[in-house]
Amino acid sequence: MHFSEDDLQQALKRKDPGEGFTQRVMARVEQAKAEPRPVPEKAKKSNGALLAWWKLRPAWIVALAAVLLAGFALGGYQYSEYRHRETARQEQQRLEQARQEREQAERARDQAILALQIARSKLNHVLERAQLPVESNDKIRRQRL
Amino acid sequence: MEQIAGFEDNRLHLALTQSAQGDGLAFAELVREHRSMVFSIAYHFLQDRSLAEDLAQEVFLELYQSLDRIQSPAHLTHWLRRVTANRCIDQGRRKQRRPELALEEAPEPVEPSAIGDPLLLERLRQSLAVLPEKQRMVVILRFQEGLGPAEIADVLEMPVNTVKSTLHRTLADLRKTLTRKIREVRYAFF
Repeated sequence: MHFSEDDLQQALKRKDPGEGFTQRVMARVEQAKAEPRPVPEKAKKSNGALLAWWKLRPAWIVALAAVLLAGFALGGYQYSEYRHRETARQEQQRLEQARQEREQAERARDQAILALQIARSKLNHVLERAQLPVESNDKIRRQRL
Repeated sequence: MEQIAGFEDNRLHLALTQSAQGDGLAFAELVREHRSMVFSIAYHFLQDRSLAEDLAQEVFLELYQSLDRIQSPAHLTHWLRRVTANRCIDQGRRKQRRPELALEEAPEPVEPSAIGDPLLLERLRQSLAVLPEKQRMVVILRFQEGLGPAEIADVLEMPVNTVKSTLHRTLADLRKTLTRKIREVRYAFF
């Protein structure tokens, strides 16, 4: 089924609630005027000392703003100092770790060189023995026996 | 024509100023001027005469308490539309029920429909009543109040493109729903 925009406008045509509506609204307005406006709970609590404090507004606001500003500045400075110290400590830790690793590597290198030197001397010795003539070998064997 | 509009605007401006100063008669004039707009938005949205009247009264009561913030007649109209729309959507979300129209609650047309098929108009209203809240309000603002997408977007605080797509989708949905309903009626008869 097709409908046009005119049909929709017709279906949604404004309706007047009647003159009685205005009277009822005005009655509610009068009723609302007669009733004391509900005071929010927070305002009730703040009526005493807080209100007196609020009267000193300009001086207090300047002082409060100055304190807050000083607090933020101090906090910012402390934080930057802390960050600086923390960065230095981490850098030092990293250097220390690198130094330890280097020392370990040097020790391992020295041990490897020593092991190679021992192996070389052993091999030299074996080579010398292998190059001796057979008689002298027998002589040596007999001497041992 | 422009002169009449200017005169109307001046009259409303005066009523607004006097209302803000506590003049009850001037406020009653503002209510008379805008009651059909506020009531009709609520009525077309809620499809319940008494609920709509109650909501409209609350809107005017809120207006009375906020008069000092209203700057001009145009601002007043915009404010009323926005507050009514928001209250309707809230009310619709709270209730989440299908409208139940008692006979005595049925709207009385201000004047007999000169054009249009009464059955079709009734079906349109029924189909509109079951739409999701935002979609329903977009259609009401578009076709009851004759607002453009930008104005609707301003009232409902939505992006203009969303309003355009919502409107397009809703009209398509309405056409589909109406076609289905008519088919059901035909099957019931034949």
